[in-house]
Amino acid sequence: MTQTKLLIIDDDPDYVDGIKSILEKADYSVDVAYNPKDGFKALESGNYDLLLLDIMMGRGAEGVMVARKINKDPKLRNIPVLIITGIREQIAFLFPGQPVHPRFLPTDELLEKPVDPKFLLEKVAALLEEAKAKKAE
Amino acid sequence: MAAKPTFSQEISNLLYASHGNPLKTCIQCGTCSGTCPVAEFMDQTPRRLIGMINADLKEDVLKCNTYWFCASCFHCTVRCPAGIDIADAMYAVKRYSIWHKTYSEDLVGPTFSETFVKTIARSGRSYEPILAPTYMFSMGIKEVLQEAYMATQMMLKGRMPVLPAKIKRLDNFKEMIRRIIPVGGAE
Amino acid sequence: MKKFAYFPGCSLDKIALSYNHSSVDTAKLLGVELQELDDWNCCGATTYFHVDQLLAYTLVARNLAQAEKAGLDLVAPCSACYKNAYFTNKYIKEDPDLAEHINFALEGDDLQFNGKINVHHIIEIFVNEVGVEEIKAKVTNPLEGLKVAPYYGCQIVRPRKDGENLENPHFFEELVEAMGAEAVDFPYRLRCCGGSLIMTSRHAALDMVRKLLQNAVDSGADVIATACPLCQVNLECYQLQVNDEFGTTFKMPVMYFTQLLGLSLGLSKKKLGIGSELVSAVPVLK
Repeated sequence: MTQTKLLIIDDDPDYVDGIKSILEKADYSVDVAYNPKDGFKALESGNYDLLLLDIMMGRGAEGVMVARKINKDPKLRNIPVLIITGIREQIAFLFPGQPVHPRFLPTDELLEKPVDPKFLLEKVAALLEEAKAKKAE
Repeated sequence: MAAKPTFSQEISNLLYASHGNPLKTCIQCGTCSGTCPVAEFMDQTPRRLIGMINADLKEDVLKCNTYWFCASCFHCTVRCPAGIDIADAMYAVKRYSIWHKTYSEDLVGPTFSETFVKTIARSGRSYEPILAPTYMFSMGIKEVLQEAYMATQMMLKGRMPVLPAKIKRLDNFKEMIRRIIPVGGAE
Repeated sequence: MKKFAYFPGCSLDKIALSYNHSSVDTAKLLGVELQELDDWNCCGATTYFHVDQLLAYTLVARNLAQAEKAGLDLVAPCSACYKNAYFTNKYIKEDPDLAEHINFALEGDDLQFNGKINVHHIIEIFVNEVGVEEIKAKVTNPLEGLKVAPYYGCQIVRPRKDGENLENPHFFEELVEAMGAEAVDFPYRLRCCGGSLIMTSRHAALDMVRKLLQNAVDSGADVIATACPLCQVNLECYQLQVNDEFGTTFKMPVMYFTQLLGLSLGLSKKKLGIGSELVSAVPVLK
């Protein structure tokens, strides 16, 4: 059986180092792109099984834009997307203490940084399982 | 796949959509520093800041005031012989310093920006009296009195708003903002 | 009558009310109707770009979309509003992903923007749409003997928009001469007034204002003409602070070019909001 392929699009090198090593220890193959443009290009050419996506990158909340673009692309929309974001920390001054609004995020699951390693692996496994089931239908 | 980015690559990732050339193309000619009307008040000139970013001197870059002293006059941008949009790069480092909270406490710029953005996100319009406290705290008593005197004169001339303005379709406006930054407002 | 969607911006609501009135009235006299945008919002100034540029573009796009809905090009009298509107319009036209994303947000206010309009600064309307010759022909009260320092500031000319002369523009001088006044040689006419640094880096900004005022005095100007509310407030309202800080004795009136233009076309001082300055312009006007 081939290794399950994951892509991370996140601009924070230290954070990426952390989750990449957690995922690799769990025997996933992990690629990384550090900006939305490289990320989308990789996604289009790479046959990934799951995407881990940051929000605040480049000009601003670009992760939302990427998620929306994936959702509109018939070739990509079946890839499960897990958003992992520190947005509430990064622009906490704007909406102090307020939650992320699920209705405006075309995504499968959202986790907020910092993420517990065990929880992360559970979520990734569950999303992959779900996608597999959907494909089998 | 991509190796772990250095600090200069982190900044270029923030500038991935910029219309100027990469900071790496800087030839250190100093046209920006010679042009910049605020350079003498910056602790590092624009040319040095770009050199420091390219040399990955992350801590030195983040603790300097240069980008928060940029007045957005774009004179460096239009004169740069390497075609770098230097003012846009200053914005990128500002974003970095706000998102990572690395700015030093004695700067007024970051708090001012945050308050300004907050005011608009809530009302759709800016309102000077709400902004005043963000910069008054850094002033001595003489400056505060000057500021108060000026505000009074402006008020007498009908040039100072007494009440904050608000747009009419504010709910729609807030919905619009949530579609870009999906935080807040959830039931 | 030519018609434009007019986006006054937050400053013109109060601090620069005289710019607002003088723009609308003067334009009307020259056959241009400025129809104020309905329910416009703040363009985000420079500060939104410090936090999230996508959000900044969205705020601007709401105003652009309303102008487009009215089928009109957008005109802004504030240089910062103009720069933001100009480049947001350009970037949305160039980048379909950005356009799609912003349009999704605009749906929240039942709007859409298709990039079908152009954006102008108000001084361009007078210079390009009306034309200097036409203005010259309509001047009834030439401002003879008045020495004006035409102050371009930054964002009308920068960043580069489209092949304009960045280092040596002359349209402002031509406009001043058309009013019958004398445009003095003002070397610092393109130098920054400090913008919002007046609030965030006060000493630096006051020194920038001081240099500009000194340069205007050295140029022999009676009055500085501006085309931006931020420039006007920094150069005029902060003169007292500059004098306090540096021991100078500046008393240089700073007027909107539309006020001077209005005077030359015969509008009354009162109508043009002359008298609401902190440094009175009356002594230098006949």
